[in-house]
Amino acid sequence: MSGFDWQSAAVASATVIAWIVIGTGLLQILLYLIQLVFAGISLAQRPPIVRSSLLWQRYANRAPPIAVLAPAFNEEVTIVESVTSLLALHYPEFEVVVINDGSKDGTLQRLIDHFDVHPIDRYYDRTVGHQPIRGLYANPRLPRLLVVDKENGGKSDALNAGINVARAPLFCSIDADSLLESDALLRAVRPFVEEPDRMVAVGGTIRLANGSRIEGGRVREVCLPRNFLALVQIVEYLRAFLMARLALSRLQVLTVISGAFGLFRRRLVLEVGGYSHGTVGEDMELVVKLHRHMRELKRPYRIDFIPEPVCWTEAPEDLTILGRQRARWQRGSLETFVKHRDMLFNPKFGRIGFLGFGQVLVVDVMGPIIEVVGYVLIPLLWAVGLLAVDYLLAFLAVTFTFGIFISVATLILEEVELRRFPKARDLAILTFVAVAENFGYRQISNFWRLRGVWQFLRKQQGWGTMTRKGFQSAS
Amino acid sequence: MITLYDLWTLSLSMALLALAIMAGLILGRAVSARRAKALKAHREAWLPRLLDGATDAEFADLPHRPELLVQLASELITLVRGEEREQFVATATRLGVADTLRRRLNRGSNRDRIVAAETLAFFPDDRSTDALDQALDDKSPDVRLTAALALASSGRAPPLAHLVERLRLGTQETSMLNVTLVAEIARDRPEEVTQLLMDDATPSPLKAAAIDALSGSGDYRLVPLVVRLALEADDEAPELPRYLRALGELQHPAARPAILRGLASRTWFVRAAAAEASGRVGLVETVDTLLRLLDDPDWWVRYRAGEALARLGRPGRDMLHEMSCLGSVRAREAARLTLVEQAAR
Repeated sequence: MSGFDWQSAAVASATVIAWIVIGTGLLQILLYLIQLVFAGISLAQRPPIVRSSLLWQRYANRAPPIAVLAPAFNEEVTIVESVTSLLALHYPEFEVVVINDGSKDGTLQRLIDHFDVHPIDRYYDRTVGHQPIRGLYANPRLPRLLVVDKENGGKSDALNAGINVARAPLFCSIDADSLLESDALLRAVRPFVEEPDRMVAVGGTIRLANGSRIEGGRVREVCLPRNFLALVQIVEYLRAFLMARLALSRLQVLTVISGAFGLFRRRLVLEVGGYSHGTVGEDMELVVKLHRHMRELKRPYRIDFIPEPVCWTEAPEDLTILGRQRARWQRGSLETFVKHRDMLFNPKFGRIGFLGFGQVLVVDVMGPIIEVVGYVLIPLLWAVGLLAVDYLLAFLAVTFTFGIFISVATLILEEVELRRFPKARDLAILTFVAVAENFGYRQISNFWRLRGVWQFLRKQQGWGTMTRKGFQSAS
Repeated sequence: MITLYDLWTLSLSMALLALAIMAGLILGRAVSARRAKALKAHREAWLPRLLDGATDAEFADLPHRPELLVQLASELITLVRGEEREQFVATATRLGVADTLRRRLNRGSNRDRIVAAETLAFFPDDRSTDALDQALDDKSPDVRLTAALALASSGRAPPLAHLVERLRLGTQETSMLNVTLVAEIARDRPEEVTQLLMDDATPSPLKAAAIDALSGSGDYRLVPLVVRLALEADDEAPELPRYLRALGELQHPAARPAILRGLASRTWFVRAAAAEASGRVGLVETVDTLLRLLDDPDWWVRYRAGEALARLGRPGRDMLHEMSCLGSVRAREAARLTLVEQAAR
């Protein structure tokens, strides 16, 4: 009887590991390639981006009222500027509902002092649960503004209070520190006007304002930031919005509408119980709940994404805050995935179960773990002679070179179809960043995502400390 | 069969190709920045002369750039009105803008065709009308609807029945812009819209759009027709609240049977719309039903019932006062806060 061949077993094990790592990477690349193709088709066939005046002429008479929900927690530095900017939006019928989520600073007092709002009584819905409302404030001279003061319960809780208090058929959830384009609501409402019976929710493109010139709550000139982390995030946002969300929307499997800007049919959100508590991925979870609800009702529906920029936000420029944000995003995805795991590959949920959840499984659940395993094991196994060099090269292909291709291809798509970056120099810088981000940043990012996985496994809750500094103008 | 090594070479080739294309685009952008400067200079030369209505001889001195002229025309046409617009359109036509737009409407991309159709709305000549009419059969539903809106806004729309067929209005095309389209046609030819409503073959969503379009007209002849549609509609039909809201806007007591049926509906959105209509029409006899609806399980129904009671004047408000002390917790809250809100208005 011959002895066990340890050498062959080790080689076989190393080969299996390598194939799992390379196979998962290839699957991700394949998904990204599909997304690129569909994003390209979608951009080529999109309706023209018309001027605001034409938009108004065409849609104003048919645009349904919208309630803009702005949750605010310790936002005293920026709240007045943000609300002033919201009240100046161009839309026929809207109200701004600012929800002070039990701020510990002077957010409420700043609102009372600046907008001269007073306590009022108003009859409101109580369909979805939230922490008690302490008071409602309004000023008859500003009929579009309503301030809700409630006990602290987190962003989703504040949004639920806003949904209950709002009376418009559509609501727009935003972050209190985001800047909206003045015609953002008119642009985002278009799918609701064009497909009134089917449209459930619409997400809009979020862009990073770091480095741009901001005046009076508006982005006046688009410029690139000098901070490398902010530059990398510009490329990341392009991939996320211009490629992934546009393509997923085209395929009708969009699972995320960013918390920074989303337009929803209020009634349907009430039917699914509003935003869930106890998750940091409440924006993703709401969209998944809407998919589930509509599939269960067997009603035709659409959840769309529009490529037009509607909202600006400021990206973190230091590693600690960015790392915390990314870990939280990862945790949010995992929480939603696990909560709705019965939808995965379930024929009852059609394409959302296969494509939508399949993408979350490959990109968000397996992706970061397997990639980090690859970084550690593949070079090591090759160095000790258990793997041929071809495995190492294939691993480098799926983690570095294909990554460069996807990022640069997204930039090409942007330049060919949208041309939002004003100077050739900007494009050159972003191309450099699209290459450079694969060496170092991508690996750190995966580490943050692993931290998110760890926090999820330990059932850690909460958002961590958020620091608001207000928009920094480049001028 | 692709080997592992092929993956590496494939990825490398794709990355290099993408970088090469990007380099080309960056170069192209640098060149186009210069062109943009020249275009800006041309624009600045054309703009005052277009606004001042210069003579053909004055235009002849300027560099002829059809794309710039189309862009300027589409921007400026909406800024001027009346005679000034007519004069501007005549100048633009002489300069070949309409020809360029018609070519784009025929052969351009989806986006170009939509913009061309929108701008051609302001060009009343026969060739532009024909081009827009042909665009009603375009492969893109967006282009078809835009062309129809362009024709309707300038009083040149073909018969509504033809439009229904060609654009498949109410079946495939269910946009809220159908309401705008029908309203534009109703302005010049209301009889066609009435005929559409009488026709049993008209799809329900289109009938609802037509009623939305006409409800602000104050034409009481519509009331019996809308009442009939509301009584015949299914209890859960999405059009039913639109019929009821139209009856509310028309404010005619003959709407009574439809509103009474709506108040007894099993569907929340129908009850809410009926309550609203009842208040607008002033059906005092519905006070008891509205009081009952103050305790409806659905918030919107309670809200609309309270609002309707307040609209009914003294009898309604008296009952709201009474209910704010005697009703169930839910009804008491609805009644009390309705009174507070009404007092604040």
